[in-house]
Amino acid sequence: MSRRSLIGVALVATVVGYVRVESASAIPAFARQYDLQCNVCHTRPPRLNRFGEQFHMMGFQIPSAARPGGLVGTLQEDGPIKTLIDSLALRIEGGLFEYTESPRETETKFAPPDEITLFVARPLLPDLSFFVEIEGEPNGVVFEKRRYFTKGEAGLGKEAFFMLNLGRLLGALGAPTMEMGGQTMVGKHGGFSMHGPMVMAGKVDPNTNFSYATNRQLIAPTELEVKRGAVERLPVVPYAFASKFFGLFKNRDEREPQLVTDQVMYNTAGSPGADFHAMINDVFLGQVGFLRENEGFNTYGMARFDLLDRRELAFNVSALVNGGLGVVRAPDPDDRDHPGGRRLDRLRYGVAANVRWKDLDVYGALIWDQLYGLPGELRSDFDRTATGLSVQADYLVQEKIMVSSRFDQLWAGGLRNETRDGSVLSVQAKFYPWQNVAFFVRDSVNLRSFVEQSPLLNWRNQVFVGIDWDF
Amino acid sequence: MLANPFRFLAVAVFVLLVGLCATRPPAGRANGDKDKHEQKGGHAHVPAPTEYADIHVPLSVWTAARMIARGKEIYTTRCAVCHGDAGDGKGPAGVALPLKPADFRDKAGVAEMRDNYWFWRVSEGGQVEPFKGRGSAMPPWKGQLSVEERWAVMAYQHTFSGHQGPHVPWEHPGSVAMGRDIYAMACVMCHGVDGKGDGSVGPMLSPRRAPQPRDFTAGVFKFRSTPSGELPITADLYRTVTEGIAGRGGPLTFGMRRHRIMPSFRQMPEEQRLEVLEYVKTFHRGFWEREEITRVTIPSSPPATPDRIARGRDVYVNAKCFECHGESGRGDGPAAPTLKNDDKLPIEAADLTRPSQFKNGARPEDVYRTLMTGLDGTPMPSYADSLQPDQAWDLVFYVLSLSLGGRAAEAGLRVVR
Repeated sequence: MSRRSLIGVALVATVVGYVRVESASAIPAFARQYDLQCNVCHTRPPRLNRFGEQFHMMGFQIPSAARPGGLVGTLQEDGPIKTLIDSLALRIEGGLFEYTESPRETETKFAPPDEITLFVARPLLPDLSFFVEIEGEPNGVVFEKRRYFTKGEAGLGKEAFFMLNLGRLLGALGAPTMEMGGQTMVGKHGGFSMHGPMVMAGKVDPNTNFSYATNRQLIAPTELEVKRGAVERLPVVPYAFASKFFGLFKNRDEREPQLVTDQVMYNTAGSPGADFHAMINDVFLGQVGFLRENEGFNTYGMARFDLLDRRELAFNVSALVNGGLGVVRAPDPDDRDHPGGRRLDRLRYGVAANVRWKDLDVYGALIWDQLYGLPGELRSDFDRTATGLSVQADYLVQEKIMVSSRFDQLWAGGLRNETRDGSVLSVQAKFYPWQNVAFFVRDSVNLRSFVEQSPLLNWRNQVFVGIDWDF
Repeated sequence: MLANPFRFLAVAVFVLLVGLCATRPPAGRANGDKDKHEQKGGHAHVPAPTEYADIHVPLSVWTAARMIARGKEIYTTRCAVCHGDAGDGKGPAGVALPLKPADFRDKAGVAEMRDNYWFWRVSEGGQVEPFKGRGSAMPPWKGQLSVEERWAVMAYQHTFSGHQGPHVPWEHPGSVAMGRDIYAMACVMCHGVDGKGDGSVGPMLSPRRAPQPRDFTAGVFKFRSTPSGELPITADLYRTVTEGIAGRGGPLTFGMRRHRIMPSFRQMPEEQRLEVLEYVKTFHRGFWEREEITRVTIPSSPPATPDRIARGRDVYVNAKCFECHGESGRGDGPAAPTLKNDDKLPIEAADLTRPSQFKNGARPEDVYRTLMTGLDGTPMPSYADSLQPDQAWDLVFYVLSLSLGGRAAEAGLRVVR
């Protein structure tokens, strides 16, 4: 499909989407399932507040108030049509981009719905729920036949999983349990208590529980730009969670590069695997799991301490250790544009913190990555350590306006002749005429020197005006 | 790439599901070890029903020598035969009973009994569930002993436990442990650890304006069936927890019945809702210190007629409801922009054309209650002193008729009915 016709289709899709959504409005599934306002669970969509985190942790159910009959009870009470409609949600994102490459060169691009996502989610039983995203990317970037190009795609989205509370199972094995509104918790009233453990299995995003939840940030990543089959410009993402290394490959046969800004490992946007997490005494959250990644898999452990929640001040810190076995491929020492035979292990560790005080929400993460198993021939030319820092602050100016700012710093690793560090400052204002609809304007500034050859640095400024029908 | 992991995970989830469905927590382990206490002392850790939930023993009773002496007299003649002279539950008549009499020397068991539960047990004996079904032979004493006499006997029984001082939750945190756990799980994010309404969620929920999460320590409650300025009864709190609280705003969507800013906990078992309320009440000792509870009576609803709605319109004007709620009831009266609550936060006048947003409920009796009790802490006053019940009903039906845009009274009737 030619670029012009693609834009035409996208325009139509946007208009149709706009008209449809404007009349039928966005369909926030959980809001309708519980007749709740969005802001009960979100500081402002999509970022979760503490109640939203608890809601998520308990399998998308009001804490201590699971419907005893699960889906059957819902069907009996609401009927099949309302139950079906309440299980669905839609999200559309799109907008207008403008890049400034130099003071005189700008590029303006219309970004028709980047993503149209259909969500199907609800509790099935008091201890079991599911969540599935079906995603359409009209202008998604794909890598096929060793080339990048824009191509409309539809399929399973970032996340698709079951969440199961194992408390009852532990009870059967002898652990003391508490029945908390249909949800089984391990422990004894007045003593030890544990929410869960919950298992999330399928295509999961484990970092929802992290102090810096990658996929619940308000400043969304920009899109990858490609031109003539190659990467033209890398997206602006929270660099702390990026791949961070130049010159690596995802796999051997397809020769797909592992881009330095890809979100990987624990901080993936969604990956096949299983995640176990439990909240102990409402203070300590422990999490372990494994995820498939490229040709290997990675395991992780995360601990979060909720140190304070009083006087409108909440503070938590997290520590992460993440080991990836054979998750990336080193370049061929003799031909560094191609993947070699050696799969590398990656160790990721880091800390994150989140402070919420009144209308302010500040969160940051410092993440270190280290590679193991490099071929000897590459060692002198390859920096096998990298670090990323992301710090974001969101401030609610008034009920419908949230301003955000994020600073991202990348101390990149990888092939020394390709490696570039990055520093980006982003600011964003988001206007919510309704709680589930946001118009936003975002500006990102490259704080480093302009480097034409580097897809990380070949821009000075990016402006993105967009709309997000959120759920 | 996805096929294999998904196959594996599907099998794993299936196995776990089978395990989950096939198992239930052993009864002896579910909700702590309450059954152990039941075997030892005959009391089940269940909350007192709402009609007893507000009967808290005055703090001075527990330590008053006169009350303890009076309680001893009663205990010796009426209770010792089963509970034993030493309060150990081994009286001669109690030995053969299927459900053993309470052992008041069991410090842990006594500490778990809240005063209102204790009073309920003494008053109703074993004639109510769940004790009746378990074969309790304890007689009800409410017909034979006055309230003070029942308090006196409780004060004497309490001495067997060796505890000094009043028998209140802040002396025995274990008595509200279940409620505290539920509170920590479901309420603390908004209402805060100390119940001051200072959880981290509130400020962003409605920034710098009302409503904010309730500060339970202040003792000011909007939704009551008690006169203005008084604490609510447990049933009022129960209604709020069950129904949640509706509000303005929310998502632009369809299919929502109410746009709640506080969730409904109606799916939480009734027993647990009462447990969490017992914990919430501990944030304000006034619940234990009030001597008398007055309730605003809600007479049965008269039939709604066009005449009544027309009269209600006059009441609406004469009571100057329009100053805040506006001529058409949309909450846009001349005083609306200046309204503030007791915390000096801007507050919106209710849009009376949208009953689904009424925070205190939209049934006729709910609106009547709101009119007669007011909403403490807000500019909405109580009209108990200025409106006769019949006038209040007129106003109730007029207010409910406004949801059709204040059109003909006949149209309003459809809503009311």
